[in-house]
Amino acid sequence: MATARYDRLIDDLRSEYRPQREWAEGRGLFLVIGHFLVGVAAGTWLMGLLYGVIEALIVAFALACLGGLAHLAFLGRPERAWKMMTRTASSWIARGFWGLSLFLAGGFLCLVPELWTGAPWSANSALSMAGYGLAFAGMVVLIVYMGFVYTSSKAIPFWNSPLHPVLYIAYACRGGTAALIIVMTASSRPIETGSALLEVWMAITAVVAVLWLLELQSAATGGNTAARRSVRELLAGRVALYFYGGILVIGLAVPAVLVAGIAAPLSQATLAAIGLASVVGDFFMKYSSIRAGIYLPLRTHHE
Amino acid sequence: MVIDLKRCIGCYGCQLSCKAEHGTPPGVLFARVLKREEGQYPTVRQIFLPVLCNHCEDAPCIDVCPTGASFRWEEDGIVDIDHDKCVGCRACMMGCPYNNRYFNEERLDYFHDAGATPYEEARTMRHQDGVVMKCNFCRDRVRAGKEPACVANCPTVARYFGDLDDPTSEVSRLIKERDGFTLHPEVGTGPAVYYLPQ
Repeated sequence: MATARYDRLIDDLRSEYRPQREWAEGRGLFLVIGHFLVGVAAGTWLMGLLYGVIEALIVAFALACLGGLAHLAFLGRPERAWKMMTRTASSWIARGFWGLSLFLAGGFLCLVPELWTGAPWSANSALSMAGYGLAFAGMVVLIVYMGFVYTSSKAIPFWNSPLHPVLYIAYACRGGTAALIIVMTASSRPIETGSALLEVWMAITAVVAVLWLLELQSAATGGNTAARRSVRELLAGRVALYFYGGILVIGLAVPAVLVAGIAAPLSQATLAAIGLASVVGDFFMKYSSIRAGIYLPLRTHHE
Repeated sequence: MVIDLKRCIGCYGCQLSCKAEHGTPPGVLFARVLKREEGQYPTVRQIFLPVLCNHCEDAPCIDVCPTGASFRWEEDGIVDIDHDKCVGCRACMMGCPYNNRYFNEERLDYFHDAGATPYEEARTMRHQDGVVMKCNFCRDRVRAGKEPACVANCPTVARYFGDLDDPTSEVSRLIKERDGFTLHPEVGTGPAVYYLPQ
């Protein structure tokens, strides 16, 4: 296993277009999972607040906890994770660490009295309200920071795009809406509520699709050779399966067919299936766009 | 540092001397040489490009590091890593436009199944795993008045080391006289490694 990894690294170093593997393969997969979970958690918290669904807040908190654990599993030295609090002035990862910490602390403060009647503080207490405030601040940071983590990666031209943060914000909203649809169907709310949410989901999905097209188009036409290579990896390379199968089919085509009522009439089960397919598609969006990253080649200018 | 591409013969002496100096584990190459063949028979030539950390003036690896593990020594401008602070998030690897950072994920032996040699026990095992590693211009040697190992051991004297801030230094003169260039100037990081054209 270790030998294979070493041989692959040497092969990568010899290749003109070196694929980035650190943030998507091996232990790096935990980062993709962590970013996915935390993004959906923040979006779900936002939608849960907007629609006043306490179950969604609980799900968001649980997802954020799992996302935090995934981040720790990704780190080479998780026991030093607290040191990531120190460089908020320039590092988006440090800001994200604060965001997640605030979100978890705030979520704990406001959800405990909602779930446990014998809690030392009540749901309307100042502590609980402060919890909502902290969680909201953390949520905003979590929705925003991830895209900037990738945009600030100067070695990967495909990510180094101003559209990336906007795409991640849109994906957090889409993930949150989809998760809220699942939560509402699971808690047997009236189907009308789910249908109304579906319209929101469709609007956000349209924005996401346009952003994706813009990002691919700008990388393919205005980007350098590494960015173009990344687009090729997505559309016809080693990540194409995840792009077409995960993002387009599962994340877009399946929900579209279900929304149109071609496969089945709109029901609680159909709504849940739409939400689930959307969330799975979101995972593949993150996975494939991260894996498609190609390092800036070193030979561009001197020859 | 200035690297004369006209003089480089692609012997990998810099890579080997760096390995010997730092005792880096397998898969960690502070200095390496990129080699490529160009042209068609009978006019074929090999091109060598020695690469290492560029110790950028505006280093993106320092900006993206969430712990301050990546930092710059104020007295000499060398970009270094405090391994006791590194959490192994690898953001610096994604930030470095020169691909010259390595993640030492877990212990690897050079002779895999045979286990670590006494040399490896003495040298490579002292490095932490789960952290990112990179060239530090052999700072200990420089502080002791010596040149970095890759410079001192280059058999064709293709490498020069000196003070870029001093306009009278040999490196400054070479860059000026022979139109020295940096890799990826468009990224705007202000690299401190210059190349002299072939």
